[in-house]
Amino acid sequence: MIAVRAALLVVLIAIPAAMTGLWIHAADARLTETSAAPAEVAPVASASDVAYCNPELKRILRRVLMSCGLVGGNAARGCQPVQAKNVATMSGHDFNALFTPMKDRGGIVGFDKDKAELDATGLGLVDQVFADQRGASWFFVVARASPEGSVEHNRELSKARAEAVMDHLRQQFKDPDLDKEVGMLWLGAEFAQLEAEFCAWKRSSSGACSPEQLNRSAFVAWIDCQL
Amino acid sequence: MRRPPPWLVVVLVGAVVGAVFAAISTYDFVQHLDRQVHSLHCSFIPGVTHGAGESGCQVAMMSPYSSVFRTHVWGGLPISLAALSVFAFLAFYAIDLAVTRRKDDPRATGFLALATALPALTSLVMLVISLAKLGTTCKLCVCIYLASAVCLVGGIALWRRAVRDHRGGEVAASPRDRHRGDPAFIGTAKTGSSARLVAVGVPTGAASTGFLAAMFGAGVAFVAVPIVLYLALAPDHARFIGTCEGLPHPADGYGVMVRIERGAAHGVPAVEVLDPLCPACRAFEQRLAASGLAERLERKAVLFPLDNTCNWMVTETTHPGACTVSEAVLCAGDKAPDVLAWAFEAQDRIRDETKLDPSAAARIVKQRFPELAACVGSPDARSRLNKSMRWIVANNIRVLTPQVFIDNVKLCDEDVDLGLEYTLSNMLERHARGTLAVAPLEKAPPAAAPAVAKPHGGAP
Repeated sequence: MIAVRAALLVVLIAIPAAMTGLWIHAADARLTETSAAPAEVAPVASASDVAYCNPELKRILRRVLMSCGLVGGNAARGCQPVQAKNVATMSGHDFNALFTPMKDRGGIVGFDKDKAELDATGLGLVDQVFADQRGASWFFVVARASPEGSVEHNRELSKARAEAVMDHLRQQFKDPDLDKEVGMLWLGAEFAQLEAEFCAWKRSSSGACSPEQLNRSAFVAWIDCQL
Repeated sequence: MRRPPPWLVVVLVGAVVGAVFAAISTYDFVQHLDRQVHSLHCSFIPGVTHGAGESGCQVAMMSPYSSVFRTHVWGGLPISLAALSVFAFLAFYAIDLAVTRRKDDPRATGFLALATALPALTSLVMLVISLAKLGTTCKLCVCIYLASAVCLVGGIALWRRAVRDHRGGEVAASPRDRHRGDPAFIGTAKTGSSARLVAVGVPTGAASTGFLAAMFGAGVAFVAVPIVLYLALAPDHARFIGTCEGLPHPADGYGVMVRIERGAAHGVPAVEVLDPLCPACRAFEQRLAASGLAERLERKAVLFPLDNTCNWMVTETTHPGACTVSEAVLCAGDKAPDVLAWAFEAQDRIRDETKLDPSAAARIVKQRFPELAACVGSPDARSRLNKSMRWIVANNIRVLTPQVFIDNVKLCDEDVDLGLEYTLSNMLERHARGTLAVAPLEKAPPAAAPAVAKPHGGAP
């Protein structure tokens, strides 16, 4: 009788113990197996690199950004018309065409004739576009001038317009990366003047879209490309 | 052989049923020791799988109440294992009572009633915790509760019957009557009555204190053996600490980190990457609070809404409204912990309403926090939220929430639920010793590769 009871005791203790031991052993074996194999993990966060970022655009972008002091450790800030023309190594029309895929990511901030001060609607548009950075790495400010006035004056005027936008961004957003992500180009009235197709972009001026008015502007856009 | 009394059968059946459900629950728990996600058995029918989604069983298993000693062993020691052991003991003892014919013994059956009270009381406590703390019940647990109740009812009924019979027998039987030449005769039912009390089989006498002590010892052995085995065999999870990346650029240059705790916090610096509308983040907060380890951390959050209206890294809106609520948290300044706590509470409603109406999140936020109305949706708020995500990009963080970094070392994603207490307390200890650091996982040496024939004409 005692032997039967002892056997029963041992068996009933052994059953849960053995089951647990086997389950743990199996889990341990799976753990060893999975830790040896490459794990399936979530993607790593990264900046945007959208479909329009073709090799040609990236090549131009890299050259412009290097020449304008954003990448490569160049201390210079901004590109002048001659530089831009040389760096882009393309016609003004082709240069502008590079930006057409960014229609939803940019805007055209208008200025009064011979002025470089942003008005309230202009400030609003700059804020709106800049705040919508999403995953973009580069912000372009491309300022122009209408053809009235001398070449030299228009260069200075467009430079002042680009700097007005930059100053506002610096003041408004206090972004420590600003100098690393904002590329400024001032083109005066010499290179890559905006054409009528840009009238369809977001603009701060609500008036008629004449070529003169369109180019009294700073074109601002985020570029969702990784270099 | 005489049939065992019905109440003993009730105890035996209850013990077997309880053991089956406790075994299934233990199996589900132990499966997770491999750090993977598994479906759970969550049904009133033993063995039926529920799936990996949220269920009462999932909530119960991931809660701190499913196991004990969580800071000493990864995941802790499942209480279902103790339940399995106790039910196995009850089954053993019920069979033993039948075999030794002590089923009518008040002392032996009283011990059984006491033994059945243990799982019954534990079940009652767990049921209260389920309802009051977890707000749900798990089907497997309910089956264990019912089995415990059945055992208790059977145990008490058997004991009461034994006591009643014993008292009746004591009144009727006298020592003089026991010597009438009939070995089975133990007395008359009533003095002067012709009816005789006859013991069928060989009576073993009242359970001695030694017998009861032996049974108590057996009960302890039933519980101790599987537990010791579990502790001895449980995989070593400490080797994974520090192997899940770190923060290469932890400084908050953008000023996007927000405090999580309301009060002043002093402890080990911790960064939590979270989405205020993410259920897993809310569950993590609850688990961390229950663990008691949050007090040892000085936590800050970096917002990472899984909502493609502001987050370019996700292709769909996993948590509708998360961008807006994240902006509200950033806008709140010193009150960010309040907004965050509110967002965790109201996240189901916000997500549901925003799914139907994209402007609902902003409306709900502005109703609750009118002082944030001007800020939420403003370029400044959007830009700050964007910087938050740029901080995440700069730190090569994975696209999922929540993620926790203790002094810049990541708490592995596999350790944010069952293994939280073990891993976090280990990390804190290592931090105190100055040894907490990112380190590659030391893999076990590969098994000897099987010989493979070289293909003809292959490269040398």
